Amino acid sequence: MLDGRLSLTTPEGVRLLLTPAGPAIRAAAWALDFIVWLVIAFFGIWIFSGSKLGAGVIGLILFVSYWGYPVICEVYFRGRSIGKRAFGLEVLRADGLPVGWRESALRNLIAVADFLPMLYASGLLCMLLDRRFRRLGDIVAGTQVVYHEKLPARSQFTDVQPLATSYPLTPEQQRILIGLFEREKKLPVERMQELASIAEPITGLTGAASLAELRGIAAGLTQ
Amino acid sequence: MKQKTFETEQAALWTGIEAVLNGSAKQLDDFPAQYRRLCQSLALARQRGYSPSLTDYLQKLVLDCHRRLYGVEIERPMLLRLWLSHTFPQRVREEWRLLALASLTFFGVALVTGLLVWFKPHWAYSFMSGAELNQFHGMYQPGQTAVGRGGSEGDVAMFGFYIWNNVSIGFRTFASGIFAGVPTLISLGSNGMHLGVVGSWLSMDASTRPVFWSFVITHSSFEITGLLLSGVAGMRLGLALIHPGRLSRRHALLAASERMFPIIVGAALLTVLAAFFEGFWSASASISQPVKFIVGGICWLTVLLYFAFAGRVTR
Repeated sequence: MLDGRLSLTTPEGVRLLLTPAGPAIRAAAWALDFIVWLVIAFFGIWIFSGSKLGAGVIGLILFVSYWGYPVICEVYFRGRSIGKRAFGLEVLRADGLPVGWRESALRNLIAVADFLPMLYASGLLCMLLDRRFRRLGDIVAGTQVVYHEKLPARSQFTDVQPLATSYPLTPEQQRILIGLFEREKKLPVERMQELASIAEPITGLTGAASLAELRGIAAGLTQ
Repeated sequence: MKQKTFETEQAALWTGIEAVLNGSAKQLDDFPAQYRRLCQSLALARQRGYSPSLTDYLQKLVLDCHRRLYGVEIERPMLLRLWLSHTFPQRVREEWRLLALASLTFFGVALVTGLLVWFKPHWAYSFMSGAELNQFHGMYQPGQTAVGRGGSEGDVAMFGFYIWNNVSIGFRTFASGIFAGVPTLISLGSNGMHLGVVGSWLSMDASTRPVFWSFVITHSSFEITGLLLSGVAGMRLGLALIHPGRLSRRHALLAASERMFPIIVGAALLTVLAAFFEGFWSASASISQPVKFIVGGICWLTVLLYFAFAGRVTR
């Protein structure tokens, strides 16, 4: 595979494809989590400051929110803290299974080492050297951060008359053709027509007419 | 087979599995069988070159089922008791060499700096500023109502502070050990130095001597042990990187962290326990010094006996 995805083969002989997340998006997710922590810490201090009892509660809040927050998120919320959820990331074990207490606690403890000597320099260096963008904590705990994949919507071509192809397409060509229409909303109409014109040998048409014809063929292929 | 026919044939299976995954249906005993049929659907869809939208959908469904089936934690109801009575002390004994090194670093530095300050008191100023030394001296005056804390804060306040501060120090001592164990040794040494200088400085004054040591003796049994064990776990990580043996470095790190996890959890709990004692017992003015010394001695003895003998008897 050349698309940078990680392929794990399960005992059933199925390949699980995971996409490791790179340093930039992880830094963004971390920054959001850090802001959330700052807000929690700020409100904790704001509410409880003043009394002696409150000072003790502040210490407890700081401790639990600083060391406990990422671990609780990863164990109880499927490997996703608020920052990771916002950026569509999740933490998994290297074998693609959810993280447990041990993995989560270790990777978040070692984050201290990743932070050294300053601003996650060790973690960044480690991520850049590692094929799967793992920081030290991930390597020690046997975990990795991947993109969370949503269940894709399936039904499309609802209002299109399916057409039969006069020209037999290989499975790979079929994938390419249907993949094109799956991305149709992201592409400008002119570009779609331009691409459809390339298919002139198949459709015998150019521009918008060829596009309509191709859409019909794609609809026919999915049904 | 046309994709449409395939989809209608399999739709019941897929929607059934989807319902289980999003929690709207109960997981039945034949879920593994359903999963295998789903895997077959995916394989067929791939082989027949059905649309990427269908194969992606099945792929994602398979991934979620895989996690659901294999990600189940095995129930271990006796885990905590087993950990306390066997795993934790056994692991610590297995690492006796590193524990000896950690103790030597901590107590050795404490002893050396302590003796240095004892015989050449002006050296104390090279480790700490005069203001700090005066502050410590003031904190442990016999007349202070709340010893060792400047006299103004409440018990809970100090308890919260000790947890946040001391457990974090333990965690940092552990985590930084991954850099060949050097930062861990530095952390142990600097904490030992702190104890040596302050202990020696306050021992020189006959008025502060009993106040300081009666304050320190009880919680130090748990706190120093916790710090030493954090150091042991950290150095083991560092050693895995320097000397991985027959494993690759990555696997050596994984193996070491797996072995050290019970120790680091134990160290954190000991430090929390120490915070309890430090906040609510050590500083209490209503408990007389002899009682504190006796209880402190019992705590030290308990810790030593626990790590020496717990978990030796076969179950």
